[in-house]
Amino acid sequence: MTRIGFRLALAYRGNIVMTCVALVAQVFLLRMIWTAVYGSRPAAAGLTLDALLACLTLANLQGFATHMLVTRIVHQRVRTGTVFFDLARPAGYLRQMAAFQAGNTLGGLLLLTPVVPVVLLAGSITAPVNPAGYVITLVLGYVIAVQLALLISLIAFWTLEIGAVSLLYRLVSQFFAGTMVPLAFFPGFLGSLAEVLPFKYLGYVPAAIYVGHISDVSGAVVVEAAWIAGLWALLTLVWSRAHRRVVIQGG
Amino acid sequence: MAEVLRALRLYVLLQRASARAALQYRANTVIGILSGAVWQGTGFAFIWVIMHTFPSLAGWGLAEIAFLYGLRLTAHALAMIPLMSVNDIHWLVLNGEFDRFLLRPLNPLVQLMGNRMGIAQFGDLLAGVALLAVAGRSAHVQWNGWLVAFCAAAIVGGALIEAAFFLALCSLSLRLIDTFALRVFVDDVFSKFGSYPMKIFGGAVEWLFTFVLPVAFVAYVPASVVLGKLGDPLAVAAPLLGVPLIVLAYLFWRRNLDHYQSAGH
Repeated sequence: MTRIGFRLALAYRGNIVMTCVALVAQVFLLRMIWTAVYGSRPAAAGLTLDALLACLTLANLQGFATHMLVTRIVHQRVRTGTVFFDLARPAGYLRQMAAFQAGNTLGGLLLLTPVVPVVLLAGSITAPVNPAGYVITLVLGYVIAVQLALLISLIAFWTLEIGAVSLLYRLVSQFFAGTMVPLAFFPGFLGSLAEVLPFKYLGYVPAAIYVGHISDVSGAVVVEAAWIAGLWALLTLVWSRAHRRVVIQGG
Repeated sequence: MAEVLRALRLYVLLQRASARAALQYRANTVIGILSGAVWQGTGFAFIWVIMHTFPSLAGWGLAEIAFLYGLRLTAHALAMIPLMSVNDIHWLVLNGEFDRFLLRPLNPLVQLMGNRMGIAQFGDLLAGVALLAVAGRSAHVQWNGWLVAFCAAAIVGGALIEAAFFLALCSLSLRLIDTFALRVFVDDVFSKFGSYPMKIFGGAVEWLFTFVLPVAFVAYVPASVVLGKLGDPLAVAAPLLGVPLIVLAYLFWRRNLDHYQSAGH
């Protein structure tokens, strides 16, 4: 399954190249906007401009890495009835899909590698303050991202149609992951909301640990672990209901 | 002239049929419009969050940026609502379906435009007009008849600029060159860089978006005129740029159409 996901990423090279170009444009745009609003200020919300730009550049790179294809694949396979073959395999369905997504991400990362220097040039980067903390929180954040994507995917077992839902999910998750504005700048209610949602672990939290804006790594890891455990329980529950609902279209 | 009127009448008929087809799936249509509006909404939420902390962006306040953003978005929606179905051209050419358009006594481009309706683009229009209405009131502008007319001209002109690039790229599909990814990129550049004051990019990038890919003329220059930020008397002519560009794009389309070879069915 992992190999299939990996190959699929390489098969759609053209798509990835375009995504990379868009990523470079996005990071460049963010750099220009933030540089303009900072003007001559040394820092705002406890972030210097350099730290903020590094934070956003990383969060956008992570946004690319945590982009999930699995939702679209599940949707397509439920629609066409080919989900039957996935269910007939001895390995658990969710495990297969998670493996597929991991492979797909690896393939995407492989293609992204040559673009990373360009992205860093268009944006900006500083030396890591806490590289170990960055990697740990990012890996756990990735697990959360896969779990959430699987949860969204399972909706397809009820509605057979999740195009709009997954688009909305992507918008909301990217926004609250802080890929354009670090969470430190979110005002009032929006800030509290971003604080309790799990999306910040996909983008802002690891990036803020990287630049040293957040120093409490263990606190973040504990909350991430709690999210992973909670989501895992929820996934198991939802799956036990979903697979009883399987209707093979045209079967 | 009679020919043009006839084409227009038939286009309206085709679009009405497309609209009826789209409305068969009511929930899908509503969700499509909403997702278009939400998409643009989050784009603007970003600016709103930033301006919450910082009072100005290159000398532009929140209401002024909102006006610029709304102007760009409305022009974009106006360009894409009729042209959305031209996006399918590559696929239609490959399938040999485009040959059918050539056999009917109506301009093939008009038929292509009437083929399907841009649903999500109505969401863009909704968000754009809402932003314009709110920002137009809160930005300190002394509205008068001529300014309103200028705004309308700017929206049409901006739509023509974007439509010209879109149509030129679509034309290449008649020669089996797939430009879909490139169109997505151009659309992305127009929306990303056209919605902010050009001043923040400075130097080479500003020059590029003024003289090479004239993103600046879609909304930035007209908005600067309305908000009294540009002294250059030439800026008033910005809405006119779209006219020669769309004419050139159409000529390019015709040229590629002359070279069209069916996919062979």
